Amino acid sequence: MNTISSNRAAAAPYVVPAKRRRHLIGVSGILIACAFTALAVLNLLPLIWGILTSLKAPSDMFRFPPVLFDFTPTLDNYRRVIESGFLGNMKMSLFYSATTVAGTLVLALPAAYAFDRFNFPLRGPLFLLVVASIPLSLGAAALLIPNYLYFTRLGLTNAWYTLPLIYTAHQLPMAIWIMKGTIEGIPRELDEAAIADGASHFEVLRYVILPLSRPAFGAAGVLTFVGSWNEFVAGSVMVDSPQLRPIQPAIYNFIGFFGREWGPLTASATLAILPILIVFALLGRLIVSGLTKGSVKG
Amino acid sequence: MHSRHAGLTYIVPAFALLGLVLFSPVFYGFWFSLFRIQYGAPTDFVGLDNFVRLLDDPTLGGTLSRSTVFTVFAVLFTILIALALSVWIHKLGEKRGFIVQMIVIVPWIISTVVATLLFRWVFVNDIGLALSLARMAGFNDIRLLNDPTSAMTLLIAVSVWKRIGYAVIILLAGLKSIPDDYEEAALIDGANSWQIFRRITLPLLKTPLLLVAIVLTLSNLNTVETPLVLTGGGPGNATRILPIEVFDRAFVNYDLGSATALALVMFLGNILLVLAYVRLAKWKT
Amino acid sequence: MLRRIALSMVLAGTMAAAIPAYAQQTQVRMWTFLNPAGTTPREVALKTIIENFEKANPDIDVVVEPQAWDQMTPKFLAANNAGNAPDVIWVVTDFLGDAIKSGSLASLNDLFIKDWSEEQVADRAGAYWDLTNVDGVQHALFTSRNYISIVYRKDFFDEAGIDPASITTWDEFLKAAEELTVKDSSGQVTRYGFVQGFSENQADPPMMIPYMLGKGAELFNADGTANFASPEGVEALTFQTDLIKKYNVMPEAAVSWTVDDVYEQFASGRAAMILGASVRVSTLQSQLDKDKVGMMLWPGSGDMAHSPAVMAGWAVGVWSKSPVQEQAGKFVDYMLGPDGDKLWVEEGGQSPGLVSTLEGLGDFPQQPGNEYLQVVSEGSAKYGWLAPIDFSIGGYRQSLNKAAQAVVVNGTDPQQALEDAASEFDRANNR
Repeated sequence: MNTISSNRAAAAPYVVPAKRRRHLIGVSGILIACAFTALAVLNLLPLIWGILTSLKAPSDMFRFPPVLFDFTPTLDNYRRVIESGFLGNMKMSLFYSATTVAGTLVLALPAAYAFDRFNFPLRGPLFLLVVASIPLSLGAAALLIPNYLYFTRLGLTNAWYTLPLIYTAHQLPMAIWIMKGTIEGIPRELDEAAIADGASHFEVLRYVILPLSRPAFGAAGVLTFVGSWNEFVAGSVMVDSPQLRPIQPAIYNFIGFFGREWGPLTASATLAILPILIVFALLGRLIVSGLTKGSVKG
Repeated sequence: MHSRHAGLTYIVPAFALLGLVLFSPVFYGFWFSLFRIQYGAPTDFVGLDNFVRLLDDPTLGGTLSRSTVFTVFAVLFTILIALALSVWIHKLGEKRGFIVQMIVIVPWIISTVVATLLFRWVFVNDIGLALSLARMAGFNDIRLLNDPTSAMTLLIAVSVWKRIGYAVIILLAGLKSIPDDYEEAALIDGANSWQIFRRITLPLLKTPLLLVAIVLTLSNLNTVETPLVLTGGGPGNATRILPIEVFDRAFVNYDLGSATALALVMFLGNILLVLAYVRLAKWKT
Repeated sequence: MLRRIALSMVLAGTMAAAIPAYAQQTQVRMWTFLNPAGTTPREVALKTIIENFEKANPDIDVVVEPQAWDQMTPKFLAANNAGNAPDVIWVVTDFLGDAIKSGSLASLNDLFIKDWSEEQVADRAGAYWDLTNVDGVQHALFTSRNYISIVYRKDFFDEAGIDPASITTWDEFLKAAEELTVKDSSGQVTRYGFVQGFSENQADPPMMIPYMLGKGAELFNADGTANFASPEGVEALTFQTDLIKKYNVMPEAAVSWTVDDVYEQFASGRAAMILGASVRVSTLQSQLDKDKVGMMLWPGSGDMAHSPAVMAGWAVGVWSKSPVQEQAGKFVDYMLGPDGDKLWVEEGGQSPGLVSTLEGLGDFPQQPGNEYLQVVSEGSAKYGWLAPIDFSIGGYRQSLNKAAQAVVVNGTDPQQALEDAASEFDRANNR
């Protein structure tokens, strides 16, 4: 245990060792390149097709054989989407997702800290309860009507706090688990050192655990944002007023009763993934950059 | 180690919210399922009749086995591919890893219904890009959705495709929090990459792997959008899995009592699965 | 001090003067799948209707809360129990029986029909009016009427020299389909004569329903159990699946196609005739050309000139527990009355609901691309079938599609497939 801490203190900034780098050339390199190309095609082709479709007029959409670039692009679909109030829905979704991320992180970090560092009665079963509530958030659609009746009776539907409350609860179990996983990897000696210096539990949380939990914040933050941004069931059932509607029901509206309208559908879906890409650009780096070295000195 | 009750105060806010939004509706749902539901309202108390009626359904057994097959394969392939991708991204360094990660998460961030529809249009529709190209190359008569086996295979493929991004994020976060010197030390000791991966990386990834496995299993078991939009349960019953069964009962036949009963049974099964996973992984909290 | 008292009195006085105005404006909430802020023709029509109504009734504020169409009616029934349902609701035909029996739809007679003249009542006569009439009480009025028969490519028909009016029997239909099926040089079919989808997701009423109704069979028994496996049903299913297996005028891939897939095939010129809904014609015309898309009635069985097509629509009702029933009724009366109907037809591209609207259209139906309106009017009046609402029939179209899938993919015998479908339907509906 001690050897490892001292090794960590002595660790240099991360550089890919030459031996490892060479590994990627050669046969394995070609295999990886092929696999990656296949992946890129599978992932990006539908997206590109969707974006192209969003720029097509109705008469160009179902030409056969399918046309990739041989059409006159039009912004008509985007205009239709925006005129139908879509930007308002985006605003609401931004509000919901942002508050959900904030709420989830604020509630999950102390909980994860408590589960890992403290020993309180029923700790085991309570954590299992957290884990067991993951299916509840994933299977929300199944209990839709009873849930709707229940929330209506409680008077919680159709308010500005309806969806943030629901979404935070949905994301909380996973966020707690992710954070706990990261906190497990933070050595307890750091806690003990801080306590020996006179810190309270809360100060340990704030000044020791928090800074070192960045990958978890990145992961949990992105997951929570995407999870609440793409949530559809609660968003369409638990709120009624058009002013409170998030974007997924608005997108879904274009898979309407009179047939799916690919133009506005892809236009609205394209607009919808832009904020996610931005959030990912901001928070995703936290995941990729890893633990910051140098803040942990013996 | 620390005072016994300080811990509880830290978890109370989280549990209060979970209790309100997640736990108590389940009890309400259970109470709801004990009645005969007519026109969306509970009428006569029938006890466990809705549940007993589930047993009378001869098709549920097949649906359950199909759900199992589907979930097992979907989860397995998702984890294997996501693990390989995560390790590769981890080794790529910051810039290139970020780009690859963006590409990987694209299917995951597009809303499920739209993503499935787009995939269907580009790769499955016979007037879509992929099949048109195939036809130009001379491949005719490709049966995709009208053959039971290929329909199930396609469903598994799309479910994997949709969820890899999510798994990569979690596994990558896990990989990044493993101190590099563990691997450095092993390299110095002469171990090769595969040994390092098996003996050092994998065990340290146990928690993220378990999380991913659980969430993927539950997600594939419970989500209705992908199978509904991709195959509709067909051809015949070839891809009719449990979530479609619940959806049909609730919104097509409008038999809410039986739909809620089935949903609750599935929920119970989910919890047992989660506990089984945790136990199997010999995971200590 | 005095100034402050004076100021607050002035404020109070202003507010008191303003309050009556606010207090008198009642809000009428409506749930529909149309979004008045939207840009499709129907949504624009709805917006105009609401604007006109609010101008004529400044004390009523109509607020639309768009919902996802497939969840709307179950959600309404749940909201009816929870006590917060909207004042006006659009109910889909499938759930109309449940909505009426649950007591959630108010009597429109009490609200406004009692004030109608005899001509006004006669203006509405027809199958749709009868359907919403339970024990002499009208619980809803239909809008967005749908007629599901054959949508065809006029240009392909002209090319092949076939006159759609000449197709009066199923044999002639088959012959036309075969003539319209086009293969390319390598033997691959590039255009199919007739296409319909058999997916369980998004299931339109399949062709076998008009076929068997035309031969005199009923789909359901009096107790609500399915009557799929009648001899006429078996004949219908056999003909339908033979189009794929024997005559090759329909692709096997159709087994997995949804309604939207079929329309997309049609829009890309890969089908000459499809099973199509009248409400979709205007969309198809915007994707192709107005004069390329037409509708025809189903061929007859010999006993009758044309087999009855399945009709559907949306029934608009007023919530029976609404606190503003009178105002809600007033709005429904306007929206589906002569002024509203005209807007729905001319701006929204819908088929007329009132006889007077149809007559008042002048030469609108003769304009290129609008001929289908006349076909639909004739069909709705003489050759139409509406699903019964005495018992719930949820899932019947899916069951029939599944039977077709079984025959085509698994080679099941049609009689067996229909018996399986019937027993599955009965079990799912607890009969």
